[in-house]
Amino acid sequence: MSAGRPRQVIAFLFRRLLQALAVLLLVTLLVFGFLWLLPGGPQQAILGGGGSAAQLAAVRHDYGLGSPAVVQYLSWLRQVLHGNLGYSYVENASVGSLLAASLPRTVALTVIATALAVAIAIPAGLVQALRQDSAADRVLRGLAYVGYAMPPFFLGSVLVLEFAVRLHWFGAEGPQAPGIAGVLTDWRDLTLPVLTLTAAIVAVFSRYVRSAALGVLASDHVRTARATGAGHARVLRKHVLRNSVTPVITLGGLAIPRILGGALVVESLFNVEGIGWRLWQAAQKHDFPVLLGFILVLASGAVLGSLLADVGYAIADPRVRLNRS
Amino acid sequence: MRRGLQRGRTAVDSRTPRPRDRRGLSGRLAAACGGLALLLAAGGCGGGGSTSAGGRTPIAGGVVTYALPANTVPNYIFPFTSIAYFSVVNTDNLQYLLYRPLYWFGDGRSPFMNNALSLAYPPRYNGQVVTINLKHYRWSNGSPVTADDVLFWVRMMQAVGQADWGGWVPHEFPANISSVRAVSQTQVRMVIKGKYSHSWFTDNELSQITPMPQAWDYSSATTKSDCTHVISDCAAVYNYLNSKSLNPASWPASPIWSVVDGPWRLASYSSQGAFTFRLNPSYSGTLPKNHISVFTEVPFTSEEAEYNVLQAGGANQLDVGYLPTVDAPVPPPGAAVGQNPVSGYQLQALYFWGISYIPYNFASTDPQAAILRQLYFRQAFQDLVNQAEIIQGPLHGYGKVSTGPVGDYPVTPFLAPKARSGSDPFPYNPVEARSLLQLHGWQINPSGVSTCIRPGPGPTQCGPGVKSGARLAFTLPYATGAAWVEAAVLQLKSNASLVGIDITVIPQSFNQVTGQLAPTCGLAHNKPCPWELLDWGGGWTYVPDYLPTGEELFLTGAASNVGAYTNGMNDKLIKASLRNSSPQAMWAWENYLRPRLPIVMQPLAPSALVESINNLRIGVQSPTLALTPEDWYYVK
Repeated sequence: MSAGRPRQVIAFLFRRLLQALAVLLLVTLLVFGFLWLLPGGPQQAILGGGGSAAQLAAVRHDYGLGSPAVVQYLSWLRQVLHGNLGYSYVENASVGSLLAASLPRTVALTVIATALAVAIAIPAGLVQALRQDSAADRVLRGLAYVGYAMPPFFLGSVLVLEFAVRLHWFGAEGPQAPGIAGVLTDWRDLTLPVLTLTAAIVAVFSRYVRSAALGVLASDHVRTARATGAGHARVLRKHVLRNSVTPVITLGGLAIPRILGGALVVESLFNVEGIGWRLWQAAQKHDFPVLLGFILVLASGAVLGSLLADVGYAIADPRVRLNRS
Repeated sequence: MRRGLQRGRTAVDSRTPRPRDRRGLSGRLAAACGGLALLLAAGGCGGGGSTSAGGRTPIAGGVVTYALPANTVPNYIFPFTSIAYFSVVNTDNLQYLLYRPLYWFGDGRSPFMNNALSLAYPPRYNGQVVTINLKHYRWSNGSPVTADDVLFWVRMMQAVGQADWGGWVPHEFPANISSVRAVSQTQVRMVIKGKYSHSWFTDNELSQITPMPQAWDYSSATTKSDCTHVISDCAAVYNYLNSKSLNPASWPASPIWSVVDGPWRLASYSSQGAFTFRLNPSYSGTLPKNHISVFTEVPFTSEEAEYNVLQAGGANQLDVGYLPTVDAPVPPPGAAVGQNPVSGYQLQALYFWGISYIPYNFASTDPQAAILRQLYFRQAFQDLVNQAEIIQGPLHGYGKVSTGPVGDYPVTPFLAPKARSGSDPFPYNPVEARSLLQLHGWQINPSGVSTCIRPGPGPTQCGPGVKSGARLAFTLPYATGAAWVEAAVLQLKSNASLVGIDITVIPQSFNQVTGQLAPTCGLAHNKPCPWELLDWGGGWTYVPDYLPTGEELFLTGAASNVGAYTNGMNDKLIKASLRNSSPQAMWAWENYLRPRLPIVMQPLAPSALVESINNLRIGVQSPTLALTPEDWYYVK
């Protein structure tokens, strides 16, 4: 690597960071604008769809809703920059506290499910590629299709009925203890929601790994490595594995917001008040501060995921690093 | 009234919403979505004695874990609740357990006053003067519940009620009293302006009062105030108490909220929304000999999640939960419930005290409003609502036929005798609907949209304001969340198509639906609204105005008359019913209005199908959704 490369990499990351901030700003502007278009506006939402003129006026005054939308947006943005995501009048709690209560559960759920999915998907995808069109490939492919097509609410319900209601092996709801430690140590209640979420993720990941591995196995550098006498295990480890997991890295990074949001069904079914469930509730109840705050966090997750994917991709594939620099 | 979507009173936030002006939409509409409140009252449940209960012996103590309606968690503790927090889950699942209202409503299956649980004896009326004599209850800090505590509430209403009391109705309480004073420590006297029936004043006005302790009469942690006697002090007191109600985590240890006169005190709150109550050791009311000692409310993200936990039992076992309607067994003929699918539990159906309906918007700016104003059209439209099929289909046999503008269930003296049979006065009859439309100048097009071919005001013409070529096409936004509501709306669309009425159904969130209603449009505001029909998924619950009089929903200009219905004779009969305590006055109004169909009547859906564990006795459920777990007890 030349001496100028670190500087180029820093410049690249800086540019990406600026882009990310612009994207976040745009997201907040769009969301803020759309929310104002909802019937009745924020004051009506606060009153649950009712209220007299005097009550509406009181709410407008109490919540500072009388000023122009631009002023309110800038005020909200200023609060965010000071670490204040606002206050939910529907939940009667600060958005920050709701986030603090929800995020650990969703993160625990999704990180464990994603890690488990990766741990299963990579070997499964490799086996399928190495044994292409064998019985094992067909069975694993079939399972992936099933996992891909099966709605989480259906799989989750089946798992609950069998393993919680009938066999009593696991709990029927997710961990209810507060804090990340309480969630992580409650394996009995964590198992079924994690398995439900894992099934959907593993199906997607394994398909990508299989596809990538098939491409790598047919590539010139693998053929060359084999021709130079490298052993099967070494070829797999040094050449095939590294290149086959590249799409998973990209996918994993970009999938962060999707997984967080996609946990909604699992959270709803397993009584986990996580990010996805809270966001859905906020949308239903027109809880504007929560919508804004949570979407900002999810958008930040998406941007961060994209950044991490770029960095991870660059680490895994030197060609990318060179090209981008 | 409160909303019901989220819980029963309103009807939406069932979760939900009610007003005259005040109880505003948010207080009284009842929502049907997802978990209406599961409120059990054991009014006068006397089984907690030492005698055997159903062949088993009551025992003292025990913990009850209770499932809150899906998607609802109490979030406001100050009983002087603004409309933003005026919900069943806050009132019945939290505030009433700690702070008792002056008069308790819900006595067994009756929605009316329960003298035994009230803080005062029934009010005495002498002309325009009403006298309230308090019983000898005490606050947990040792102070008695006094006349000043009642005054504290009334002064607060006078000072900030219009903006900050969720049950506010213009020109009514406290505007309809000319004076109020404490005659003694246990006696309050009010002078009423105007002439009202005594039962109306008690059930709809005094019913709102919850005495507040003098320990709350502060404008800051250290600044004593005197809102009880000086109205100008009240705003600062309200602001202080409101600010202390904003953080649920602080409530259990709060020196303010720990002063209770109810049978429970709040022991803990978890960030997941679980509340644990313990018996108030200083409670001065009467408790049965045996009763539970700890009551825990746990939240659920969905009905499915609750049902899974209910079935699974184990470490997270629920003692009182609910059965989603979609999983409910159809009851055999004559039975209230079907065979319980959850073993080890008893199943009961709970219906809220209210009516279920879809409003027409007579003040719509849309030209279709002219069609809605035609009585023959409304009769034809009601002929297309198949209440029996909705009850047997999506409601799985749990539901009550609605017959008119007064609550049908439970049957009360205020329901006209001719409505008490429970039969549908407008049974499903598409043939009659077709005939009515044809008779009034409509060319029926079952495969498309029927059109007016004989415009004009005559008896065989389409009616005043309906133009030639007008089409029977309407939009119907409805609140999503309750499967039966969606099924009922789709069934109505299908039935209406048989006579060429085209209904475009639009699924929306509860707030979207109710956001289109009053208070910002309608006759009362001289600003018509564009909607034609709306279904927020429930109707209206009579809380905290328990008397089912019509001044809030059907009087010209009433804030909760969301469809701006107006009829001079109807107004006259409503006003007469407010002045006269006899049921006949109510019946005269009701019998007049019923055939005029100011609303589309829908079946009354159950608030909850309650599951209670076999060895727990929870008594009779109250249609007001009031909860009295202090009367519950286990048996061995």
